[in-house]
Amino acid sequence: MKQTIYRSQDGLEGGAPAAGVPAELAAAAQAATDPKGAAPVGPTKIAARDVSVFYGDKQALFDVSLDIPDKTVTALIGPSGCGKSTFLRTMNRMNDTIAGAKVTGRIEMDGEDINARSLDPVLLRARVGMVFQKPNPFPKSIFENVAYGPRIHGLTRSKDELAGVVEESLRRAGLWEEVADRLHSAGTGLSGGQQQRLVIARAIAVNPEVILMDEPCSALDPIATAKIEELIDELRERYCIVIVTHSMAQAARVSQRTAFFHMGRLVETGDTEEIFTNPRERRTLDYITGRFG
Amino acid sequence: MTETRDALAATRLERLRGGLKRRYAREMRFRMYGILAIAVAVAFLALLLGRIVEQGHTAFYAHEVSVPVYLDPAKIDPSYPQGTNFEQMVAEQQLATQGLSGDAAGPMAAEMRGLFSSELKFQVAEQVAADPSLIGQTVTFDVPVSDDADLFFKGKISRDTPSEQRRLTDRQIGWLDQMEDAGRVHSHFNARLFTSGDSTEAELAGVLGAVVGSALMLMVTALLAIPVGVAAAVYLEEFAPRNRLSALIEVNINNLAAVPSIVYGLLGLALFINWMHLPRSSPLVGGLVLALMALPTIIIATRSSLKAVPPSIREAALAMGASRTQTVFQHVLPLALPGVMTGAIISLAHALGETAPLLLIGMVSFIPGVASSITEPSGALPSLIYIWENASERAFHERTAAAIMVLLAFMIVMNAAAILLRRHFERRW
Repeated sequence: MKQTIYRSQDGLEGGAPAAGVPAELAAAAQAATDPKGAAPVGPTKIAARDVSVFYGDKQALFDVSLDIPDKTVTALIGPSGCGKSTFLRTMNRMNDTIAGAKVTGRIEMDGEDINARSLDPVLLRARVGMVFQKPNPFPKSIFENVAYGPRIHGLTRSKDELAGVVEESLRRAGLWEEVADRLHSAGTGLSGGQQQRLVIARAIAVNPEVILMDEPCSALDPIATAKIEELIDELRERYCIVIVTHSMAQAARVSQRTAFFHMGRLVETGDTEEIFTNPRERRTLDYITGRFG
Repeated sequence: MTETRDALAATRLERLRGGLKRRYAREMRFRMYGILAIAVAVAFLALLLGRIVEQGHTAFYAHEVSVPVYLDPAKIDPSYPQGTNFEQMVAEQQLATQGLSGDAAGPMAAEMRGLFSSELKFQVAEQVAADPSLIGQTVTFDVPVSDDADLFFKGKISRDTPSEQRRLTDRQIGWLDQMEDAGRVHSHFNARLFTSGDSTEAELAGVLGAVVGSALMLMVTALLAIPVGVAAAVYLEEFAPRNRLSALIEVNINNLAAVPSIVYGLLGLALFINWMHLPRSSPLVGGLVLALMALPTIIIATRSSLKAVPPSIREAALAMGASRTQTVFQHVLPLALPGVMTGAIISLAHALGETAPLLLIGMVSFIPGVASSITEPSGALPSLIYIWENASERAFHERTAAAIMVLLAFMIVMNAAAILLRRHFERRW
């Protein structure tokens, strides 16, 4: 490794928070990593090797190699423009939709190359759901929003089955109680936090294996944010979740693994607790303690 | 140094106030310019509409006169009533009521005939043909007065004008006064204006043929230009690779939108009439030409409303695993539809008023009938306006203004439809 090892230079002890890490961040990270005292990290779901992304002549991501474990929340953190969203979008090939974008390297999901020509991005996106920064429900009813995925992928055989899937998805997204009596009113008429949960319900209605979240709470107030974070924690039991966030506290609260990006490179990755208490890299420490970014 | 700074600080608030005053003054000035600009625009519009209404409102009513006609058995051949010169017969009878007959009446018969519309002879002939037993009786007919007599009753031909400069002689005016005094003249709503086609007689001419022609033409245009235009726009915007070829196509479409309409008329003449031998003067050819003309506008309007659909919706659909086609047809196009509709209807309204291309494909010919299919010869509203304005009879001029009003009403209906459609589709959140 060409990176300098921060810990060896400063001679910090493992386990104790590094100098300057706020105690509450470290505590939150510890709680998220080990909520029930069980091993939180599942087997590797997605393995990225030397992934680089180019937008035209500009390289946005440099040789990123990262393992993303199943049934775990992995947080991608870093300052604006560091490439974390770009990396997120390579995992469901949303970069394909941007003219002039080119992805090199290899990304495997369950050992299968997702950039292979034989793999249809439409199929991939049915397996890898995505939630965006700004809630983007379709301008249709709440029911139609959630039913959309199962419908286009032909996942249900009858109307009753579809209604069942919609209800279950809304329940899992913690929205059912709030919208059960107005399923056929506009999805865009909900509050921002409700819209974001609706979008999550829409994503899980097709029962994906991976859910990508691109700053899902940055447009929400603290109460709505708390609800989404709670939801993410519940969803972790069934899905592999990758979340991009600008909030250190959020990364510490919801994730078990954290990857820190800077200038298009992956600087450091590890257990969230480790990153927030004992980062190996000076840049990581500077970032999580708010010295830049 | 500190002194100047202190001095500056002391006057700071004053300078701020002064600056504020200037800013408000600037804003007020700008508002005044805006109001002035709107006032000018409204004034011109009011002038234009006022002039048209002032000139044309009289075309919406017309005068009729009751004429008792003795169906003289000596002059009517029951087996061929159409052969009788009813106009002359009626004129002589009318003169006889004035105590004029024989040689004295001879030269005046033409003047008397000129008071009635040529409709008179057709009405009498039809009546007799339908019921020959009427011959020998006196039947009263309500017939339109001639266009000049009508203008006289409307006050547009003044008795103060020297007789040699007016289209009615003193004697004719005297007779018209007599008829009016006798209560035989009545004015009524000019239904003929809306129920008949063009005619060489102003009092019998109507806009129906032109309205039907314009509607048929517009139908052809809409059926052709909207699907083709929208499909082309969707392909160019959503599917076409961005390369030199598509850039070239885009530039050409923008240029085509600026091509003068008469050029489209020439193209239509060469392509549809001379080469494809489609019937000349037909709404089919007119509609094809107008469709070519409307296409670029529809493509541009559709593309810009597709572009205006928020990218978040596209991303949402794609991330859900919708294919490109599904994304476009299930999400993007429905959201763009209000804009597409508005663009399409406005370009159709534009096409409706287009005159120049119609001149070249023969739609300015005098066509008296009302077309019943798109391949029959027909006029169109703008060309009718052109023909009537050029007519020598003064009575046509008020009808020109009336035809303009009909055209404007047609356009207002279309624009209202555009607004309603947009509202309707926008309501789907």
